[in-house]
Amino acid sequence: MSLKIIICIKSVVTSAPEGRVVRTMDNCILNPFDRPAIEMALRLRETEGGTVTAVTMGPETGTIALYEALSMGVDRAVLVTDRAFAGSDTLATSKTLSAAINRLKPFDLVIFGARSSDSDTGQVGPQTAVFLDLPVITGVKEITRKGDELIVERHIDEYSEKYSLRLPGVVAVHPRAMQPRDAALSMVEKAFKKDPIEKVGLKDLGISSQGLGESGSPTRLVSMSKIKRKKKCEFINGSPEEQADELVKRIKSGGYLS
Amino acid sequence: MDFLLDEKLNIVKRSVRSFCEREIQPIARDIDHEARFPWEVVEKMGKLGYFGIQAPQELGGAGMDTVTYCIIIEEISRVCSGLGLCVTVHNSVGVYPLVAFGNDEQKKRWVTPLARGEKIGAFCLTEPNIGSDAAGVESTAIRNGDHYIVNANKVLITNGGVADICLIFTKTDPGAGHKGLSVIVVERGTPGFEIGDLEDLSGNRANPVSSIRLNDCKVPVGNLLGKEGMGMKIGLAALDTGRIGIAAQALGIAQAAMEEGIKYSKERRQFNVPICQHQSVQNMIADMATQVESARLMVYRAAAKRDRGLPFSKESAMAKLYASEVAGKVTDMALQIHGGYGYIKTYPIERFYRDARVTRIYEGTSEIHRVVIARSILDEYK
Ligand SMILES: Cc1cc2nc3c(=O)[nH]c(=O)nc-3n(C[C@H](O)[C@H](O)[C@H](O)COP(=O)(O)OP(=O)(O)OC[C@H]3O[C@@H](n4cnc5c(N)ncnc54)[C@H](O)[C@@H]3O)c2cc1C
Repeated sequence: MSLKIIICIKSVVTSAPEGRVVRTMDNCILNPFDRPAIEMALRLRETEGGTVTAVTMGPETGTIALYEALSMGVDRAVLVTDRAFAGSDTLATSKTLSAAINRLKPFDLVIFGARSSDSDTGQVGPQTAVFLDLPVITGVKEITRKGDELIVERHIDEYSEKYSLRLPGVVAVHPRAMQPRDAALSMVEKAFKKDPIEKVGLKDLGISSQGLGESGSPTRLVSMSKIKRKKKCEFINGSPEEQADELVKRIKSGGYLS
Repeated sequence: MDFLLDEKLNIVKRSVRSFCEREIQPIARDIDHEARFPWEVVEKMGKLGYFGIQAPQELGGAGMDTVTYCIIIEEISRVCSGLGLCVTVHNSVGVYPLVAFGNDEQKKRWVTPLARGEKIGAFCLTEPNIGSDAAGVESTAIRNGDHYIVNANKVLITNGGVADICLIFTKTDPGAGHKGLSVIVVERGTPGFEIGDLEDLSGNRANPVSSIRLNDCKVPVGNLLGKEGMGMKIGLAALDTGRIGIAAQALGIAQAAMEEGIKYSKERRQFNVPICQHQSVQNMIADMATQVESARLMVYRAAAKRDRGLPFSKESAMAKLYASEVAGKVTDMALQIHGGYGYIKTYPIERFYRDARVTRIYEGTSEIHRVVIARSILDEYK
């Protein structure tokens, strides 16, 4: 079974000095949560055959994520960009993405990262699935094929669940699902040699701007500021053994060790 | 004119850094201590293309430009200078002369396995009696029918202990001075090819620097690179390119030292404040950062000139001279910031200090570089 896979990725900002987000080529990177998702797509292509197309919605700096995906080995890259999409929240983003994905029909599987490191909602994958009217499974650790269906293993809390997913379908990948590959230098070079990034705007999507961009976004960020955490220093008393036991207990109860 | 890294350079820098921090950083201290060549990561580096950075893609390389090359060497050296040395010597004075001067058959035979990292390259010029004065090499390759009989005693050879394909600088016409110099490729395993003991180096200890001895090695004439008498030309071309790589290595060491110095200055408290609040320490931080940044500009500029096909000899000599001296000064300052703890092996700065020293010596000493630069400047102002 050869799979036509779409992977939705994002360029995220690594720094926002003084609480202001200014995206530049220097401070944008591929969302780290998208790396294991790309890896999963590439491994599926290796075992099942097919193609992987990376899609991102955002301003010009979105190309960073696409070039990184191409460097890892995806076949095709699409930048969905238009002034009409500016200021989108997760709902408007999902709506736009679903239109862009529909334009790539037929496809078998749409893959998302768990969330993005700069806005951290985890909403875009599931919302896009709703707009596409497709089943979605989140927290995905592993995918194997069984006949026409995919067996999808999902990790949630302390449990592992198995689903069988009829295609086409949508998954969001667990952040620790797999170690993403390093980009081989020749792949980076190839990613930039051809001019492979397709740009898609509002017109190409053939939809109206209604419900998109800032005006189509029901949520609005009012302000952003750094949380100031109070540092606390505590001394643990007792014999060295007691101190060690107490320390281990606290590390465990704090959730730092599983 | 653009002084900023573009998308590609940013991606390369980030991905090489992430590989080095994940795969090399955890063992960097041990491989220095044990003087061990880490095959396990070298194999991974080979698969990612680090051994054929500028070799054409048709020959199994990545086909990248020199600026990108510098960033890769800088990033590897920032984590482990001994491996940075391995990669830069292999690429710039091992692979590059074969690409530039080899015939098609030679390129297929040697460049492809070298570029894939399946074989390791070495550049063998230095001899017991010959260092800076390269034209005086005493080794010989005497033609005998369709073979050369090569006798050579090469010392201080980077990658020597693991080298498969060696570019040997030798005299095919011992009476003809530098016009008798030629480069002959000798593969490990050729009868008479002997690797000496590894040197117990001060720094860059992960690199298996050793001597290589050729005793009556019978080598086919097809192993001659270019023509007889082209040795000087090939050597100079290789070293012009190699120097940019050594400059990038020095830059990587300086960057690493500076980062360690800054980190320590924020952690260490004396007189009730972190030492970075003392003005003398701040002066060192300012000087380190300024010197590292200016070295970086010189290295990238020399590389950019090479990429545009412009003459870059002078710039590469200046970049190598300056970056290696900056590496010396910056590792010294960063060690000073560490106080007594800088002098013990607990902190990586002690290693960087040792690693930096040799960048002022190999591929042309600082003194020789000043000679080259002055000659070129005096020429310009004739
Ligand atoms: C770790 C390491 C790796 C190396 N790797 C390689 C390698 O892969 N391949 C290889 O061929 N070689 C290699 N070398 C050798 C290195 O290139 C030489 O050490 C270097 O070229 C200097 O030669 P020398 O040691 O013989 O010093 P000399 O040439 O004897 O110089 C001694 C001193 O005299 C000065 N001097 C000499 N001539 C002049 C002059 N005309 N004017 C002013 N000052 C002068 C020098 O600057 C230096 O200070 C390596 C060396 C080391 C330490």
